[in-house]
Formats: sequence, C-alpha cells, structure tokens
Amino acid sequence: MQEATFLILTSLAAGGQHGYGIISDVATISDGRVRLRAGTLYSALDRLRIDGCVEVDREEMVEGRLRRYYRLTPAGAKQLAAEAGRVQANATAAFARLGLTAGVIG
Amino acid sequence: MSEIAELELGYRRWLRWYPASFRREYEAEMLGVLLAHARADQRRPQPIECLDLMSAGVRMRLRPTVPRSDRSAFTAVRLMYVGALVELATAIIIVATAGDIKSAILKRNRGYSEAQWHAEVAGSLRPLVVGAGIAIGFWLWMAWANGRGYRWARIVFAIFFGTTTFSMIHGLAGGSAAFARTDLVIGVVLWLVQLTALVLIFHKHMPTVAVSR
Repeated sequence: MQEATFLILTSLAAGGQHGYGIISDVATISDGRVRLRAGTLYSALDRLRIDGCVEVDREEMVEGRLRRYYRLTPAGAKQLAAEAGRVQANATAAFARLGLTAGVIG
Repeated sequence: MSEIAELELGYRRWLRWYPASFRREYEAEMLGVLLAHARADQRRPQPIECLDLMSAGVRMRLRPTVPRSDRSAFTAVRLMYVGALVELATAIIIVATAGDIKSAILKRNRGYSEAQWHAEVAGSLRPLVVGAGIAIGFWLWMAWANGRGYRWARIVFAIFFGTTTFSMIHGLAGGSAAFARTDLVIGVVLWLVQLTALVLIFHKHMPTVAVSR
C-alpha cells in the first residue's frame, strides 16, 4: 500500500471527512511530511471506492460548492489494520536489529 | 473577470486531463478543494498543481478500473503489460540478432553482393520490427480496455489469440523460425502469456462499470 493511501485511510479511521479535511489531517498525521494535492487525493479516493475500502458518507452544499464526506468501510478498516500491523512488525524488527527500543531514535 | 473566476477557469482547464466520467463525479468537489487551498491573491493554478492534476489525470486514463478483489481480471491485465514488455524485448532481440539473419542469408546465397544481402536483411528486419511495434501498441490497448472492463475487449483479445495461434502454426509449418531459435522461443512465450490472460479474462466476467457513477 502506498504511503498516501495508508494516510488517507488513517485519516478516515477516526470518522467521516471531506477532501479538504483529509488533506489537512494527512499533513497533521505525517507531521507535515506528506502534503497531499487535490489530484493525488481524488485519484486515491476513486481507487479506494472501487476497491470498496471507502464510501460516500454524505454530501452538502457549502457556499454553492459541493462538499462530500467520505468514510471507511469495514473492508477498508480491515485493510488498514492489516497494513498497520505489517508496518509495525517491520519497524519492530528494524528496531530490534538496531538494538533500539521502539520509538527511541537518535 | 474576477480573480476567483479566472482561477477557477484555470483549474477547469487542467481538470480536462481527467476522463469525462471522473470529471462528472469529482470536478465540482475538486474545484472546491483547489480553490480553498489557493492563496487569496492567486489568479492562476501553480505549476506544482498543474503537474499534479496532469499526472493524476493521465494515470486515471490509463489505470484499470476493475476492483483489486477481482484477482483474475487484475492478473490478466498485468499479463497483458508483460506481453507488451516481451514484444519490446522481441524487437530489441530482432535488431540484436541481425547478424544471425545476415549469416543465414549468406549461407543460403553465397553469391550475394553486399548490396543484395543488405536489401534482404532490411527486407526481413523491417516488417518484424514494425510488427513488434504494432503488437506492443495492441497489447497496451488490450490491457487498458480489459482493465476498464469493456466486454468487447475480451472478444477482440480472443480473436487476437486465435490469429496468433494460426500465424504461429502457419509459420512453423512454413519453416519461418529457421533464422533464429530465439524468435521461436519468444513466440511460444508470448502465446502462453496470451493463453493465460485469455483464460483469466473469461474465467470471471469483469464488471462493465466498477463503480456506479
């Protein structure tokens, strides 16, 4: 799973979000390291909808513009949990080989 | 024209890189996000935004729209890309084994002048390289069309497989693989790739529209 996709799913794990909210949340989650752009975000959302990981929660009009909220599906939550587990296992192995306790770097 | 209207028009132009179906679904929403992110005095899309919209739009046009859960369809599309790669390798090998063709021609026609064998090598190579180029385009087209779940693409691919099978049998019977054994090996590999992809695309019917839009 690509990092952007992982972060989008993570952003939606806490509840429904609209596009702008996801972009801001991903920047917060990644500590400003990942700055999603609209093109990348909506391509990923479209793919995630096709794969059944994300669905539209609700739509509303704000200042004459469409705002659509997305939420994680049970399949999306399962996939995110599996990916998070894989990343965590890899990180634990890396820390163990470095002789470090997880989270203690530098 | 106001600054915001000019900026919106600029974004709409760049959003044309996306397929029409995608624009119908997301354009209004994307415009909202793009305009919300724009600086107060911004009149035109920034170069980085243009690049993002353009590259994402092109990717959207090329990528498969079948769900990843439809493994047989997804594998078939990947195999079609493999087919295109093998064709590319074939074209390279044809050019690289030109020496074999030259030796074979000289062996058969010892009295040939340099101009004659040059003409014969060019006459043998050109159709093969052009054919490989067409085949690469065809494989990519099939990968794109089958990846989008078009029913007609499966039929076209089946005809393609039938034509390849016939031409391979015809070629073997006519002894056209006598110049280089590599050509024969690649031909068989391509045929097997086609056969596997064909079985996979007919194994499970791909949905014509993956997401209701």
